[in-house]
Amino acid sequence: MELNRNGIGKSNEDMISVDKLRKEFKKTVKDPGLRGSIKSLFRPKTEKVVAVRDISFAVAEGEILGFIGPNGAGKSTVIKMLTGILTPTSGSCTINGKNPTQNRKSYVKEIGVVFGQRTQLWWDLPLRETYGVLKEIYEVPDDRYRKRMAFLNEVLELDDFIASPVRTLSLGQRMRADIAASLLHSPKVLFLDEPTIGLDVVVKDNIRKAIEHINGQEKTTVILTTHDLADIEQLSKRIVMIDKGSKVFDGTIAELKAKYGQIRELYFESDCKNAEQTLAYDRQFALGKDDLSVETEGKSVKVRFNSSIVPVSDMLSYTLGKINVSDISVKDADIEEIIRRLYGQGAES
Amino acid sequence: MKRRLKTYLPFVNAGIQEVATYRINWIFFMLGNALACFVSYFIWAAVYGSGGGGAINGFTLPQMIVYIVLMFLTGTIIASDGAYVVGEEIRDGTIAMRLIKPVSYNATFLFQELGNKLPTEIAIAAPMIVTVEIIRTVLSGSVQFSAPGLLLYILSCVLAYLINFYFNICFGFIAFAIKYLWGANMMKNVIIGFLSGTVIPLSFLPGVLEKVFLLLPFASLNYTPVMIYMGKYGGAQLWYYFGLQVFWALFFFGLSKLLWKVSVKRLTVQGG
Amino acid sequence: MKNIKRALKIHRIFMAQEFKRMMEYKGDFIVGIIGFFLVQLSNLLFLWIIFNQVPTLMGWTVYEVVFIYGLSLIPKGIDHFFFDNLWNIGFFIIRKGDFDKYLTRPVNTLFHVLVEKIQIDALGELIMGIALVCVSIPHIGADWDFFRIAAMICMIPFITLIFTGVKTITASAAFWTKRSGNVIYLFYMFSDFAKYPAAIYNRVVQNIITYIIPFALTSYYPALFILRGENPLFNLGMPVLASAVLMTAGIIVWHRGLRAYESAGS
Repeated sequence: MELNRNGIGKSNEDMISVDKLRKEFKKTVKDPGLRGSIKSLFRPKTEKVVAVRDISFAVAEGEILGFIGPNGAGKSTVIKMLTGILTPTSGSCTINGKNPTQNRKSYVKEIGVVFGQRTQLWWDLPLRETYGVLKEIYEVPDDRYRKRMAFLNEVLELDDFIASPVRTLSLGQRMRADIAASLLHSPKVLFLDEPTIGLDVVVKDNIRKAIEHINGQEKTTVILTTHDLADIEQLSKRIVMIDKGSKVFDGTIAELKAKYGQIRELYFESDCKNAEQTLAYDRQFALGKDDLSVETEGKSVKVRFNSSIVPVSDMLSYTLGKINVSDISVKDADIEEIIRRLYGQGAES
Repeated sequence: MKRRLKTYLPFVNAGIQEVATYRINWIFFMLGNALACFVSYFIWAAVYGSGGGGAINGFTLPQMIVYIVLMFLTGTIIASDGAYVVGEEIRDGTIAMRLIKPVSYNATFLFQELGNKLPTEIAIAAPMIVTVEIIRTVLSGSVQFSAPGLLLYILSCVLAYLINFYFNICFGFIAFAIKYLWGANMMKNVIIGFLSGTVIPLSFLPGVLEKVFLLLPFASLNYTPVMIYMGKYGGAQLWYYFGLQVFWALFFFGLSKLLWKVSVKRLTVQGG
Repeated sequence: MKNIKRALKIHRIFMAQEFKRMMEYKGDFIVGIIGFFLVQLSNLLFLWIIFNQVPTLMGWTVYEVVFIYGLSLIPKGIDHFFFDNLWNIGFFIIRKGDFDKYLTRPVNTLFHVLVEKIQIDALGELIMGIALVCVSIPHIGADWDFFRIAAMICMIPFITLIFTGVKTITASAAFWTKRSGNVIYLFYMFSDFAKYPAAIYNRVVQNIITYIIPFALTSYYPALFILRGENPLFNLGMPVLASAVLMTAGIIVWHRGLRAYESAGS
């Protein structure tokens, strides 16, 4: 706080700033099989694993940041450092002017955390009881608590199951309840780690709407990690992508598409028996593996190609001139495809 | 027979690996249990010290020390946590996975646990037997070791383990039906601790109680092997107690089969 | 002062939740209480059989031994009742990654863990302990003045914290090793030595249970003063000192552990 007033330290718009954050773990390594187990019984070997490699980024107040990456990329480790659960090996993060690991207790009053695979609800008791306890833990005054519960009830529709024991809730209900629990104390920043994991499409959509609503109403800054890119596309304008502990992309979804998204998808159906060989796009346009992929399934053919090398019009006229097709269409590649390509590059370099 | 063994070998292997992973935990656990032995040792030393120093109920102090160590050893060798595993498997439904495998449910457990216990057994039994023999030799002034005695003890332990294993499986099925597995398990352990002579040799109990307790299956668990090792049973008595052990092993084996059938029926009725 | 008030309030709320939970699982808890009661009963039976053989144990009469035994159960039972959750830290919470929850809440983690659960089974020990102390007192020919009774009651919070301190230190090992339940178990088992007069043990054991893992301070030494009026400075002072040292050490090790804590898995 002091720092801000004097104009030193973080810039005013950034709610979160992360600077060269790094986390190393020690891992016990064990050779496979019985012999390995016996060997590690007497001489356990350890090795250093870098889970997060000097990551930097910033998040503005009220922004929803999508934080993505493949399994084991280090997403959760970053989130755990930002929430004060893990201490960074080096580097720093500042959230609302505070360092998560210093003065943890006052810091966590300003954040809400949901881990999709865990719950912080009291398992054996009616859901309502959890909120009663959290009210005391976060010292929410009575009148604010009442207003807050009314608001959360409305957004997350808790009324149907607030009297049921938590263990009887469905996964979707439990997630709504967990999000409400993380928002009870009106945090400035909300961390959502896989909030839609394991939910069906309709429930996912409800949860996204709720998050959107809360972000719009309260200017809550949200950091969201997910495997489901639809979460990102619906909620966040900006994404940070990490792979093997390093940042590989930081920008808006539009930028991502502009940078890597010249991939288009041509779809058609044809009676031609071996359309793929007849068309031979790779020879015709001299396209490499990265810029072209063709899938044939019965009559339907899917061609993904790089439209910055071959314009869509050329592709269409060539195809239509070569064989008889029906039901032809061209689409933007989805973000999933882009990410797949990005990771592919990361693996090669 | 060979083919059958082959079917179960992976279960033994899995058990051994589990133990290696939790090596240190296990050592701490055993040390914790061994502390109870030390407490008993000091109590008995005080009792014999406060008394005349002669034999009490057929036990001299050196014999009592050997008894405590052997009880600890035997208890470890024949331990089985089948009750807990069965209860948990029924509770979380993984028992259904065992149903679809073409092997006997109880037998997969038996072999998995054996794999779990085998390294333990060897690691602990050999040095402890040596220790017991050293104690016996030093305290009595002459070598007491007898190879046939050791062999009979091992045989008796195998029977005791089978009784314990199948008894625990039965208990697991029943405790699950009454739902309070944890508390019930504790009660079971206390009662068995007493009835099997772990707390105090059965010969210290009033005559009628001793006779009744000796007939119950629990005496066949720890007490019989230990008395055999100590050479307290001879001739016809030996045959009698072995017979009793075989009887109880078969009894609980049969009962576990029966309870398994009943449970499967209930599982399929409830839809698992 | 404000902190203490808040802590008490949170404690009260957690307790209320636990009682509500208990009402949902009544049967479990009754079976648990009976179970712990039986454990003590079996030990008493052992004592009874022993005292059938000898009139006194190293100069201690049966009722004096029963008093020490009962006194040892009271702090053990209270600690077990209020602070049992430390076992869960050692066995499950850290290993399964559930400790993260505590770190995201604006409450001291150790305090949160300690007060979150109560273990009703402990009543089996506690009731038995109080009963044994009450039953044995009339049979012991000590000078039962007000001061001794008061001393006994005042000692209870301190000797309870000896248990809690040992458990906190050993549970904290899980921050480094992921699982320390069996370490807690090993040290906790030393409390078995506290059930009988320390006079029956040899020098080495006596020193261990007086100065290193000082469970003798939870029953035997206070009893030396309460029953025989011996050396109040040592017999009452040491337990108080030990509880302070152990609890302080526990808090320090716990917070060291927090820094070493590596949350589990993804």
